[in-house]
Amino acid sequence: MAKILIVDDSSTVRDQVGEFLTENGLDYISAIDGKDGLVKLQGDPGIKLILSDVNMPNMDGLTMVEKIRNELGNSTVNIIMLTTESNPSMKERGKAAGVKGWIVKPFRGESVLTAIKKLIE
Amino acid sequence: MSDNLDLVSKVLILDNAVEYFDTIKQFCDENGLIGLRIHSNNVLRTLNSYVDLGGIFMAEDYAETLEKTLELAALIRKTRPELPIILRRKTDSSSEIQADNLAKCFVDSYTIDDLSPLRKFIDDYIFSIVYPNALIRGITEISVQSLQSQFKAQTVTANAPYIVRDRIIFGEVFSLIPLESNWCRGYMMLQTEESILDSLVVSDVGLQYSQTPFRELNNLLGEVTNLIWGAFKNRFINDDVDRANRSVTQVPLVINHQNKYISFGSENPQLCFKYTLLDEATGLFCSIYQWFIFNLDFTPELFEEIQTTVDDLIDSGELELF
Repeated sequence: MAKILIVDDSSTVRDQVGEFLTENGLDYISAIDGKDGLVKLQGDPGIKLILSDVNMPNMDGLTMVEKIRNELGNSTVNIIMLTTESNPSMKERGKAAGVKGWIVKPFRGESVLTAIKKLIE
Repeated sequence: MSDNLDLVSKVLILDNAVEYFDTIKQFCDENGLIGLRIHSNNVLRTLNSYVDLGGIFMAEDYAETLEKTLELAALIRKTRPELPIILRRKTDSSSEIQADNLAKCFVDSYTIDDLSPLRKFIDDYIFSIVYPNALIRGITEISVQSLQSQFKAQTVTANAPYIVRDRIIFGEVFSLIPLESNWCRGYMMLQTEESILDSLVVSDVGLQYSQTPFRELNNLLGEVTNLIWGAFKNRFINDDVDRANRSVTQVPLVINHQNKYISFGSENPQLCFKYTLLDEATGLFCSIYQWFIFNLDFTPELFEEIQTTVDDLIDSGELELF
């Protein structure tokens, strides 16, 4: 089963999204910031999709994406940003770094399911 | 004077003159003030609780003697110096109050026959900052939407926004997040009562705490703060404008837990909102107080609303594929 990595500094969001994924029969693991996200991704080859926040301590989500693509050389994992940010320049930065989709919080389950269907199923 | 027709402020009316009640009430009604009358025995107890005041109207004959009125005013000034007091005198020279005594305790005085000093008082000390109506309306919309997204089982309503000078913290838990733009610099603060929020959250069907309750509630309040902050930025802050030229000035924040007091280092009145989360099934409700403290900069002339349509708000949560 494809595994999803949730990267968010808010445990409330990690719990909400994780609960939703479980209810829909999906497997997931969580990371608390961009740095932790990189570690979790490297440690689990089953991860096919990342749902990541942008604004996080230690390492923000877009920096994490840039490192995944450039430093880890991972061009296959699908990345969706789940964030309060909707600034066009930030979306452009994400797009340039290899982000596949953007969801503005608050979290809505059907958008995540749509992303999963389109990108990994 | 503010042009924010919807803004109100609470003032404490320490005045027992029944014959002037109607005049003062009419003044309050016409000027966006909510007058709170209390017995003289309860003044300090009231001031030590959370009443989110903008100022105080006091009559020279409020206490048994003029001397006692001045003592009470001095005590209020000592305990709550952020609250301006204006004195109502019977006539301009009705009693012999030394000028330095007057200046120590009161920012001005007025008589019932001439309310112009009272009008100037509220213009100078309460409604001294102009908040654009689009900002007030927008904050209410994004905050209700953000709260509703996290409290799906409750009904979220917003009260009329108001102005406070108080620095007393409400409840036991609050969040702070900086707001930085070319037109504002300061903080947003959300305050609530932990036990009441806890009662409301656990009344949700199927909720299981995975951490100790206070940590869960902290995280929940943090996420609401994050959602409002993000929506505020998306709607009101153009990140591409003048970022490099923004000031880096900071001032210390001082929080006194014992006295539930917070200072942002500014004497400016603050813009406040109150939201109510109501569980229709149980009748339980919880208040969340939201303060906007633009203590470092506020230049409303540069304010602009970036995202204004209802459609844009509804679009949050939608997937945008690249």
